[in-house]
Amino acid sequence: MRFSRRDLLVWGAGAAAGLVVTPVPWKILDDTSKWSQNWPWIPQPARVPVEFKQSACTLCPNGCGLRVRMAAGWAVGVAGLSTHSVSRGALCPLGFGAHQLNWQPQRLRAVRHRGSASSWSEAQAAFAKARSEGPIVVIDGYPGRAASFVLQSFAEKQSGNYRVVQGAETRALKPYEEWTGIPAASLGYDLENTTTILSFGTPLLDGWGVPGRFTRLWSERAAGTSDPQLRLIQVESSFSRTASKAWQWIHIREGSDSALASGLARVLVEQNLVPAHGPIPAMSLAEAASQTGLTVQAIADMARMLIAKTPTLAIAPDNNPSIAALNVLLGSVGTRGGIVRRTQSQQAYASADEIPNARAILIDSSVPWDFAPQSDAEVFRFAAWDGGPTKVDWLLPAPGFLEELTDVPTAPTASVETYGIAPSLVKPVSEVQSAAQFVAGVDSSSSSPEKVIHTRCEELYRKRSGAIVSKDRTPVSQLASAQKLEEALQNGAVWMDEPASSVKLRCELKEWPTNGPQPGPGNWTSEWAAPVLPPLASKLYIESDLRESLHRGNA
Amino acid sequence: MSAARYGMVIDLDRCTGCGSCMVACASENNVPALPQATARTGLTPILVREVSNGKQGADHREAFFPIMCMHCEHDTPCVKVCPQQAVEVDKATGIVMQMPQRCLGCRYCMTACPYHARYYNWWDPSWPKGMEKSLNPGVAVRMRGVVEKCNLCHARLHSAMEKAAAAGKREIDQADYVPACVEACPTGAIHFGNLADANDPVTKESRSPESFRLLAKLGTEPKLYYKSKEAWVRAMAEPNTAPTSEAQHG
Repeated sequence: MRFSRRDLLVWGAGAAAGLVVTPVPWKILDDTSKWSQNWPWIPQPARVPVEFKQSACTLCPNGCGLRVRMAAGWAVGVAGLSTHSVSRGALCPLGFGAHQLNWQPQRLRAVRHRGSASSWSEAQAAFAKARSEGPIVVIDGYPGRAASFVLQSFAEKQSGNYRVVQGAETRALKPYEEWTGIPAASLGYDLENTTTILSFGTPLLDGWGVPGRFTRLWSERAAGTSDPQLRLIQVESSFSRTASKAWQWIHIREGSDSALASGLARVLVEQNLVPAHGPIPAMSLAEAASQTGLTVQAIADMARMLIAKTPTLAIAPDNNPSIAALNVLLGSVGTRGGIVRRTQSQQAYASADEIPNARAILIDSSVPWDFAPQSDAEVFRFAAWDGGPTKVDWLLPAPGFLEELTDVPTAPTASVETYGIAPSLVKPVSEVQSAAQFVAGVDSSSSSPEKVIHTRCEELYRKRSGAIVSKDRTPVSQLASAQKLEEALQNGAVWMDEPASSVKLRCELKEWPTNGPQPGPGNWTSEWAAPVLPPLASKLYIESDLRESLHRGNA
Repeated sequence: MSAARYGMVIDLDRCTGCGSCMVACASENNVPALPQATARTGLTPILVREVSNGKQGADHREAFFPIMCMHCEHDTPCVKVCPQQAVEVDKATGIVMQMPQRCLGCRYCMTACPYHARYYNWWDPSWPKGMEKSLNPGVAVRMRGVVEKCNLCHARLHSAMEKAAAAGKREIDQADYVPACVEACPTGAIHFGNLADANDPVTKESRSPESFRLLAKLGTEPKLYYKSKEAWVRAMAEPNTAPTSEAQHG
């Protein structure tokens, strides 16, 4: 058979027509696309068995329980631990991405001396030299831990000082410390037994305290009800997330919280709505109304609202003596549903606002990054993440999320004493040391956090009070040994003491306080110790308009 | 295994707009946090939107709507338009499944979805060095050039089925299958269950007078219900008639 020119043209035309309708080119295009979507360098999750471990979050002092999904020795997911008696299965949004924090590009991986690369041995030699030349001041941001005990003991042994940078939640309890003589670290809010909460701009539903405590309480007793069991009154100059969910939002002028507290106090006393519990403010009701932008009648109505359903508890976002004095007047200090004293006496810590003369300052990684000591001393700063420009002399990489064994003392706002342990679940991604390990390298007589945790568990066991709470509640008196107690805590259980309401608290207020300058509104992540956020927080801050800022413009 | 109809009821009165569900979802499904992603181009299978009643001063109120795939049951719009048969309603679970291997990225489904609950994946997934160790082994990474959406954490359903099979059971224990957003919600606002089971609390809740579905008039029978005691929030179900304004656009 001959293949003629005509055949060639017919074949060519047929091929061209066929090419248009054939799926082959499209298939090739599709396959090429798929192939390029699966480049070998695109990361793939490891196909390894998964196991779940329990721990606690140590990124802020609230110590929420964690259920950590582990694969090949790494944390691959974090969720709330539903059996955790403090956080009740809840976490803050940042906590859900915390397992990625250790690989943050800003992770500190090497020792730096005044911006240049250095080594642990050089840092240790410099610290030993400083120690031999003068006193050392140790600054801690999360007191009460075993590591804090080690640091405090070291400072005292050196004739140095131990200072604490306190969070806003602890600072809010400072006025009561002054009036009762009980350290703020031993005080808390009995939220579970209160029926009216007057919040002065406190982000109760947006990062205040243990996320699972108030949010769950509000969800169970207040959400979506016109006459809730728990009345949340939010006094705020802007429409916050908490205001949007409050039973009532009272809009006042910015910075007039103290004036409103004084005005309410005047009404309560002058109209005999409360038994007189102390002095009344000098500010007149008319002046309070003028400052807050409310009417005199509105303040009077609000005062009656406070006593309609008691106990009533006023909560300030930071140190505000007028709001604290309002609680005294309402009889909400040392009573059920108010400010309560926890069962165990804690220490009153000196603040790091004023730092005594020292040869060197050692800053623990729990201290917020933006804390800058007002001193000429040589500064040794521990941090797991680099938060930006800093004037410290030594920048020392500390363990990151779940990279070290630590204990979890009672949360700052808690009404019941608790104790937990956060075991180290993942290996550090670089050579890191905690401040406690560092001082032990310089002073061989220093204890270690492991030993202190062990001792604390033995003490808890010896006292035989409280119970171990996980799925079940087991009284400590029923445990066979201190070792069993420690094992339970290592596996996510929490030791809880008896409720605090039985502990007496005497509060004396001689004159109505005058407020100093009030701190500006804090960010909702202000209690978050890390200077960086998990990458997945971009879902909140960049990939949605959900969180532009805490205090949005007024509606 | 008997056919299920998995669905949700979200109590909007309990949603504080914290965003935990969004972060937990992204973590569970290996969604990368890409610096170039924005509110319009990011991959956010559950996106919390803020709405207000449009009033001023003390009468102003806001609510938060977590928006995700509604898993429409009837005339599912995305299924109808997909030229690749990359979307289908799983008869065993009622979950609207998206198969990225079939998807050619035409985005017809995004246009068809009345809820704007679908996202096109513009970029190859990437993480800072070492962070790939933190990926969930049970879920693949998100493929570039395809459309993505909520699949009710299907990998968790698989795990629950494997667990049931290992125990010699045909039915899963419902407690073993809980999507990440449900688990994460700190106020317990998101309730998940089997709408085919008349005794399931979620089924009962979905029939409450306070429950509603977005754009119900389209007749697509979404399996995601919302619930609120506030009339103005319920009015958001049909935006053309709602006297409110939407504060956010994803």
